[in-house]
Amino acid sequence: MKLELGNIFIKDIQFGTESKIENGVLTVSEEAVKAIVLEDEKIKSVNLDIAKPGESVRITPVKDVIEPRVKVEGRGGIFPGVIAKVDTVGSGKTYALKGMAVVTAGKIVGFQEGIIDMTGPGADYTPFSKLNNLVVVCEPVEGVKQHDYEKAVRIAGFKVAVYLGELARELTPDETKVYETYGIMEGKEKFPELPRVAYVQMLQSQGLLHDTYVYGVDAKKTLSTIMCPTEIMDGAIVSGNCVSACDKNPTYVHENNPVVHDLFEEHGKTINFVCQIITNENVYLADKMRSSDWTAKMCRMLDLDAVIVSQEGFGNPDTDLIMNCKKIEAEGVKTVIITDEYAGRDGKSQSLADADVAADAVVTGGNANQVIVLPKMDKVIGTLDYVNTIAGGNEHSLREDGTIEVEIQAITGATNETGFGYLSAR
Amino acid sequence: MGGFMIITNNTLVKEKFGTDYHVEYEELSFEDTLKKVRDMIYDGYKLLTHPLSGSVKPKETPYKSVLMSEKPEGLDMQSMKLIESAIQACGKFQDRTGQYDSDVYEDFRLIDCTLIGSAIPSAECW
Amino acid sequence: MSKIKVVHYINQFFANIGGEEKADYPAEIRVGEIVGPGMALKQYFGEEAEIVATIVCGDSYFNENLEKAKADILAMVKEQAPDIFIAGPAFNAGRYGVACGTICDAVQEELGIPAVTGMYVENPGADMFKNKVYTIATKNSAAGMKDAVSKLAPLALKIAKKEAIGASCQEGYMPNGVRVNFFEEERGSKRAVNMLLKKLADKPFETEYPMPSFDRVEPNPAIKDLSKATIALVTSGGIVPKGNPDHIESSNASHYGEYDITGVMDLTEATYETAHGGYDPVYANEDADRVLPVDVLREMEKNGVIGKLHNKFYTTVGNGTAVASSKAFAEEFSQKLLADGVDAVILTST
Repeated sequence: MKLELGNIFIKDIQFGTESKIENGVLTVSEEAVKAIVLEDEKIKSVNLDIAKPGESVRITPVKDVIEPRVKVEGRGGIFPGVIAKVDTVGSGKTYALKGMAVVTAGKIVGFQEGIIDMTGPGADYTPFSKLNNLVVVCEPVEGVKQHDYEKAVRIAGFKVAVYLGELARELTPDETKVYETYGIMEGKEKFPELPRVAYVQMLQSQGLLHDTYVYGVDAKKTLSTIMCPTEIMDGAIVSGNCVSACDKNPTYVHENNPVVHDLFEEHGKTINFVCQIITNENVYLADKMRSSDWTAKMCRMLDLDAVIVSQEGFGNPDTDLIMNCKKIEAEGVKTVIITDEYAGRDGKSQSLADADVAADAVVTGGNANQVIVLPKMDKVIGTLDYVNTIAGGNEHSLREDGTIEVEIQAITGATNETGFGYLSAR
Repeated sequence: MGGFMIITNNTLVKEKFGTDYHVEYEELSFEDTLKKVRDMIYDGYKLLTHPLSGSVKPKETPYKSVLMSEKPEGLDMQSMKLIESAIQACGKFQDRTGQYDSDVYEDFRLIDCTLIGSAIPSAECW
Repeated sequence: MSKIKVVHYINQFFANIGGEEKADYPAEIRVGEIVGPGMALKQYFGEEAEIVATIVCGDSYFNENLEKAKADILAMVKEQAPDIFIAGPAFNAGRYGVACGTICDAVQEELGIPAVTGMYVENPGADMFKNKVYTIATKNSAAGMKDAVSKLAPLALKIAKKEAIGASCQEGYMPNGVRVNFFEEERGSKRAVNMLLKKLADKPFETEYPMPSFDRVEPNPAIKDLSKATIALVTSGGIVPKGNPDHIESSNASHYGEYDITGVMDLTEATYETAHGGYDPVYANEDADRVLPVDVLREMEKNGVIGKLHNKFYTTVGNGTAVASSKAFAEEFSQKLLADGVDAVILTST
């Protein structure tokens, strides 16, 4: 499957009467975007705001971060099974608005989390501080159930991203990258000498606010399966995960999955990037056994030489990670795993909830319990009401001088377990 | 495969699943609920769901529900390993369970309930 | 700001006194003198810090007169009241490494003065002290002096100035059980791909998170003549004299018990029981030999199958007891078993 990805760099976002992209500047009609969001009757009101890199702005509580894209050639559309109809994506031509994101924010549950600081020390820990962000803050109608509201905000974010992506349909991309993988036999013939490598992605799949959707299907109800790595670039995987800000994968991370991109860098040179394998992180232990059995079995059936396994979340998925690693290694397939750590505030506790000798090659996104003091920002988009209750905060988090003392687990993307960030630990 | 039961300190779980399933409710802390599960494991009950289900951190949420075999099935090493490291993990987090407004507890109860609820269809397949 | 005051500790060899034949050289302090590797440290320190005194001690002297040497050196260091204490680097010299670790640990613990040392990773002093004292990883011989000092000196200055200490891979110290965050040059996924390529090519690679070490114990060689061997019984099954006199906890045990069984031929319901809370105690309480087989061993002793049953047994409860505690218990009582001339142990669990 072959996908041409055209990147259109967005240097700035502004509000205006008509939505358009001109010379790298995205103009957004507030009215048009609000109308899209308010199509859902569960959303009472919506506010739009813009946050730019370097501004003294804090966005919280963040729900999702999404990169606008548009499918200009080939089958299907962006976010298949969710926004576009179900059709296999990942081939043809897609344009992406780089350097920007749609950020959905606002209260869903009372212990909401997720901080994006656009400047200061906190900005170093979140990859989204480097983007021009269009922030969509929703308010629910009275009495709406949390799961209905979560879905409403999730879908609203995708719709806004698709709306903005459409603005690029007729543009010429600033740069184009081509990603191509091959059939099993075809790849073997093309790269007879290269080791066969796949990416095993574990998807968060535990329940409300802990879900991931693949072509619209709830991942906890799936068996481990194979994807073409270009499918994610068209939004085949989206996030419904709002908990554990530091190590959840926002939709932006799925669209730009760094393991997929970095494996493509080596594809045809040092490795043959065969496919992506997706598996889940259910709470039921027998589901874990089954899913990891299937993953290992597929690694063997695909005659793989090596895989990278990535994780999402804390605790429960440590067990999936170790099961996958152990079983895949037992099939004679070499593994590298990516995780993050909860080593306590002093860094002295056991980092993972599970361990095995087979996991001898580990990349870490750092210790999520590290404490950081975030300075006061001139402007808050969203609300600070929940800062005291976010993971890694406490009743003293929001101090009188406006600074916040939290663990970095409160910061969106701080210890991402697909290796999206630069943070590590030793 | 035998039946299952739910060990919980969450009233919503009792309310929601109590009539259809065997629910053992006891008003305990998060950590003490895990310790209760541990003692049951040493009595031969088997753990059916991960004790650290959910990304809401231990002690951030006061609620924990765990699926166990309904009858003892002999000491299970995996259950033992999981519960011991789960209890150990509690030590890494600040206890914040007394610090929220009452509606936040409702949300915590709901999340815990959906987490355990997500395991029930799997448990029923057996 | 005044200069940072450093006291430097080295052995007889690096003080140019002599090799093995001079290893019994007693501890001495040379106030105002910079000796051997101290010269290299001085170069790095520039105007920021100065070595106010050098302490020299023979390796054999230190290790053979441990308490006296420690006390003498501590008194010397205290007198100088330095901001930081540096020992070594010891490279692969085993006794020197142990001395460096020991004295650094003592200086920190007793005097509250921070200390830093350096040695080769396989130096026995490294395993003993790297979690207590910042220990720079050096090459295995003094040829690596320049490299060692180039890490040792900046780390010493940072510690003395109470600056934040970076991760082990940044500062050059051996991982010490404390996880420290830092930003890498490449993102995680790229590091994973690079690691994968190395692993695929069977080239050495370094994991960013070594899994907690899994203790694999190599079995000792078999006993050649059982009929002459002294056998001891040890259990994690919680068997204790009736009433549990030392109050060993039913789970998460914090200690172990040592009990004399001289003349005890059989554990009975009246005399022994289990403290273990993790299994059904009925059968163990009825007859504790089921967990700690004293009766069978007495019989073997009588029939000459074994030389004799050791007159003490060691017991704890393995119910959720931390591996670290278990290890500490065993380290302690295995010394006693060795001292008592025990040849083999039967370890029973439940």
